[in-house]
Amino acid sequence: MDLFPVWLSLRVALTATALTLLIGIPVALLLARRRFPGRNVLEAAVVLPLVLPPTVLGYYLLLVIGGRGPVGQALAAVGLELAFTWGAAVLAACVGSIALLIKSAQAGFETVDHQLEQAARTLGRSEWSVFWSVTLPLAWRSVLAGAVLAFCRALGEFGITLMVAGNIPGRTQTLPLAIYDRVQGAQLGEANALALIAVGVVVVLLFGLSRLARLRY
Amino acid sequence: MTVVTVEIVKRYPGFTLDVGWRAEKSVVGLFGPSGAGKTLTLQCLAGLVRPDAGRIVVDDRVFFDGASGVDLPPQRRRIGYVFQGYALFPHLTVAANVAFGLRGRPHGERRRRSAEVIERLGLGGLEARYPSELSGGQRQRVALGRALAIDPALLLLDEPLSALDAPLRRALRDELREVLAAWGTAAVVVTHDFTEAYRLADRIVVYEGGRVIQSAPRAELLWQPASAAVAGIMGLRNVLHGTVVKATPERIQLRWRGQTLEAVNSPTRSYLPPPDSPIAFFIRPEYVRLIRKDRGAPDPQHHMNLMAGRIVGEADFGTVWSLRLRLEAPGAPAQGDFDLEVEVPHLVYEILEIERDRRWQFSIHRGSIHVLPA
Repeated sequence: MDLFPVWLSLRVALTATALTLLIGIPVALLLARRRFPGRNVLEAAVVLPLVLPPTVLGYYLLLVIGGRGPVGQALAAVGLELAFTWGAAVLAACVGSIALLIKSAQAGFETVDHQLEQAARTLGRSEWSVFWSVTLPLAWRSVLAGAVLAFCRALGEFGITLMVAGNIPGRTQTLPLAIYDRVQGAQLGEANALALIAVGVVVVLLFGLSRLARLRY
Repeated sequence: MTVVTVEIVKRYPGFTLDVGWRAEKSVVGLFGPSGAGKTLTLQCLAGLVRPDAGRIVVDDRVFFDGASGVDLPPQRRRIGYVFQGYALFPHLTVAANVAFGLRGRPHGERRRRSAEVIERLGLGGLEARYPSELSGGQRQRVALGRALAIDPALLLLDEPLSALDAPLRRALRDELREVLAAWGTAAVVVTHDFTEAYRLADRIVVYEGGRVIQSAPRAELLWQPASAAVAGIMGLRNVLHGTVVKATPERIQLRWRGQTLEAVNSPTRSYLPPPDSPIAFFIRPEYVRLIRKDRGAPDPQHHMNLMAGRIVGEADFGTVWSLRLRLEAPGAPAQGDFDLEVEVPHLVYEILEIERDRRWQFSIHRGSIHVLPA
């Protein structure tokens, strides 16, 4: 059996989760801690990928990163191509899952008593240090829960991926696409095996998360 | 000796903080009702809130100057802030909480300093505990230790005792006083409890509605509140209003409820209102003297401000009784259905058989009638 889709999906989901953490945590902090004009717009924009049809999202993304899109052309100018590569699958997974991380992390940051951060500032700590030694240690469970949810969502991303990365066996065919493909081709044995692997990964992750949540800090 | 100068304006919709005070004594109390701007002043001192205008100077260090745009961030002010409710880091041990502000110092010095602070505050043996495993008193000491460890130029304490219940409150008030005296750090204490302000502070700044209405050494505030408003915030009873008859630097004669009363004018703050102008004054309930009937007729030489009245209400506070006296004089009583509140010890209440005998003559020493300047 060809396990390429499994490895591809794990690689895509891991990369996407890392990117999601990198972008999502600052956005979550911003939403949890600051009042600024346009905050409501940002909050709505964060939730949008959760409610829009994936194919619509994928279509718009393709317009941006495709050969004729602004990002696509800029990349082409330096000899790079994003559409229909595994990078596009990472992008699709990011877009599809980042809302889960941001909402969970935001809720976590909001429960951290603002006064603790103030106390850290009066004790000489920089904003960077306040985040790493107070805010994150007190909110890490929510951030981790968000990351696990985002990873699972990234692993299962189908619609956006199909639109921007295609379904190229051995190149961009991720686990969900491969399952769809095997079912279409009536290869139910392989479809069952791949589906079980997907279920297994997610169940193990969620179980691990529930164990971690029992730790104090 | 630390000199603190605060002159700040901060506007919010519906509330403006506009205060100025200066303190050279070691402990300053900001006293007033909640919502008066006391905590906001602390936040401005610590650099957590930026005033709209003004100046904050501690010793010769300018923390904030609206005119020249100076605004030191909280990290660079070296201010120890003990928050209301303490704001201890729940994920860190006592030792890590105390050492939190020492990051950036050499490892050895950090260890030495936090060990010293833990020792001096009697926290030895609790180093590995978490804040949730501490009693209220221990938490207060950890919060103090965390703030004192950085050797602050100024210590800020926001309602340091409000998180505690009554018996502990008294004990910790005195403990806090000892710690402040022992460390000798200049401090600003916020409280809405006058006893607390009086016990902890050398100078008391009275706040009301975002303004300072009096700033004075604690004894001066206790005996010479600057106005009826200050007296009201201090919770003084028998704040009364009369008319000036004659004022000299030594005495003030006033009319109240058809009586002519004589009060001592303040020696440090002679107040000379013109005749017939309104005047406010207060009489502490425990300084009204009931005159015993078994000792003959009262002597006007000895018994100043002699009056007669009837007891129209009373309340038993255990060790003392509070009596409501109504003067035998025409006109409406000064305080609803009574004129004066009088406090007598329980024992006196029993000996004089006040329960049975409701009509009394009483006198007030001229030094116990405190004039409140307008």
